[in-house]
Amino acid sequence: MRAKILYALVAGSLLAAGTPPAHAADGAALELVRKECSTCHGTRGISVAPTFPHLAAQQAEYLEVQLRAFRDHSRADPHAQAYMWGMAAQLTDPTIKEISKYFSTQPAPVPPQAGAAEIAAGKKIFEEGVPTQSVPPCQSCHMPNAHGNGPFPRLAGQHRQYLEKQLEVFAAGVRANEMMHATAQTLTALQISQLAAFLSSQP
Amino acid sequence: MKRSLLVLALFAVLAALAPSRAHATPAFARQTGVSCQGCHTVFPELTPFGRKFKLNGYVFTNVKQLEPLSEQGQRTLALSEIPPLSVQLQASNTTLQRSVPDAGATGDLAQRNSTEFPQALSLFYTGKISDNLGAFLQLTWSPPSDSVGIDNSDLRFANHAAFDSIGMPDFIYGLTLNNNPTSQDVWNSTPAWGYPYILPDSAVPPVASTLLDGQLAQESAGLSAYVYLFDHLYLEGGAYRSAQTSFTNATTGGPGPLDSTAPNDRISGVAPYWRLAWEQAWGEHSLEFGTYGIRAETHPTGIGENGPLNVFTDIALDGQYQFITDDHIFSLAGTWIHEHRHFNNVLLATHQNNDLDTERLTASYYFRRRIGGYVQGFSTTGSRDPIMYAMGTPVLGSAKGRPDTQGAIVELDFLPWLNTKLGVQYTIYSKFNGDSKNYDGFGRKASDNNALFVYVWTAF
Repeated sequence: MRAKILYALVAGSLLAAGTPPAHAADGAALELVRKECSTCHGTRGISVAPTFPHLAAQQAEYLEVQLRAFRDHSRADPHAQAYMWGMAAQLTDPTIKEISKYFSTQPAPVPPQAGAAEIAAGKKIFEEGVPTQSVPPCQSCHMPNAHGNGPFPRLAGQHRQYLEKQLEVFAAGVRANEMMHATAQTLTALQISQLAAFLSSQP
Repeated sequence: MKRSLLVLALFAVLAALAPSRAHATPAFARQTGVSCQGCHTVFPELTPFGRKFKLNGYVFTNVKQLEPLSEQGQRTLALSEIPPLSVQLQASNTTLQRSVPDAGATGDLAQRNSTEFPQALSLFYTGKISDNLGAFLQLTWSPPSDSVGIDNSDLRFANHAAFDSIGMPDFIYGLTLNNNPTSQDVWNSTPAWGYPYILPDSAVPPVASTLLDGQLAQESAGLSAYVYLFDHLYLEGGAYRSAQTSFTNATTGGPGPLDSTAPNDRISGVAPYWRLAWEQAWGEHSLEFGTYGIRAETHPTGIGENGPLNVFTDIALDGQYQFITDDHIFSLAGTWIHEHRHFNNVLLATHQNNDLDTERLTASYYFRRRIGGYVQGFSTTGSRDPIMYAMGTPVLGSAKGRPDTQGAIVELDFLPWLNTKLGVQYTIYSKFNGDSKNYDGFGRKASDNNALFVYVWTAF
């Protein structure tokens, strides 16, 4: 009887192994999404831990640029080195394109709530910039709805901690980007926090 | 003198049976290109990413593959150009509060302080073998037995599937063939990968532990099937069999029969193992709670294959909470194992039915993965049994015939690099084998077994 149970278990597993996955036709890139990207970013590009950004509804062009930058190590902030250099090392250009297209077409995450006062302060920076600190309005590149545009990423609904971290690594020059370095290094910690609170709460 | 020899023999057996601890490997980092911190808070504890990497069969790779195609255009092999090998070294110094009694020239045990370099030296093959197939294989040389032996090992097939038509999104399914129940588990609340991750070889081991708590480690082989559904629910079912004993048949020279005097109880037939767990993650937090267990009918040591069987039933609960950020990592892990022992061999136990309960609760904190430590409270309690708990045996036995052992472990660690840990660990016993004072009936106190353990542990 016990042996039968064991055989049943093994047979069941092998049968399951033979079942083709539902997305088998979606190609190698989507298999990568399901098996690898989803581990941190979620199958639909909505991540749980704020260390890892949401990718859903992100600009495809921005994702492509970033994946290539991970692959050639030109994006070198500590998290990029720790996680994405390895993950992107073997990606080909067509795969990068397909992965980026997949995530860009997923529905955006539902934004969390944030305090009204910090949202208002963050909104002001986003829309008007901080002229006294030579900070231009963010919306001029990232669009008024913060949905991004081509190489300029969507910021709306992104994890607050992730946005704060990126502004910190831009400011420190660890994530190389001249425009963002110049902008972020003049922002105070409070302004960064307000800006991230506003952006993360946007649909 | 006779008593001393008995102590020596028991000590040697228990040291050889002490569960070995297998660990994280740099070969994974080489294979994936992902830093240690991807899979580990601080090795060997797994992060949510590390759990998925293991559930997925250790196969993700960024190393160039040898991928020949068949005439039909199908890939016939996916072999890494660099074999995923790595080495682990542990060295330590242990100081007992009070040395065990001197047994004279034959068994000179009166050594309060002992150094081991290495305490363990391991060679790993850990990583992808082919598409959907990966391995965690460990060979370890250890000083107590002065031999190289197989350590925790896991051969794993895993894949993904989805049944959108019935509302079943993408899930992981797999098979694991391993040699230690719970070594296949992905949470650090279960015994094989639970704290303490490293222990002194020369400390005095308590008289009782449950079957799931390392008793079958490297002496059994189990095959189980698992699924991880909805990114939350883990279900696993399988069965273990005892490995062939190391004894040879005196007549034929072939592998020994299962009724020879093996070092441990052997499973009769197969022992079913089950595991069910739920994981919930939000923000930087993750929480798991679950149950696991095994039921084993065993041939006890020295009892023939046709002799009466003993029956062990272990049912356990476990839970784990993690908070992980770049600066602060906090974990809480605990388990409770209840074991019912039904002995049909009256020479091995006074009572036919006995119960044993083990509880452990461990809290850990690390700052920037550099400095941190652990605090653990542990307890094993159970019903009284003079024969089973070696009444009348100095140091290792219990004068009251009771298994009760309770205490705490405090540990402070420093990691100069992510793959190297320097630790100071102190184990404090409030009760040992049934009592705090004169627990063995020969004047030894529970606190005499307190141990200060200083170690270095590196893998590369």
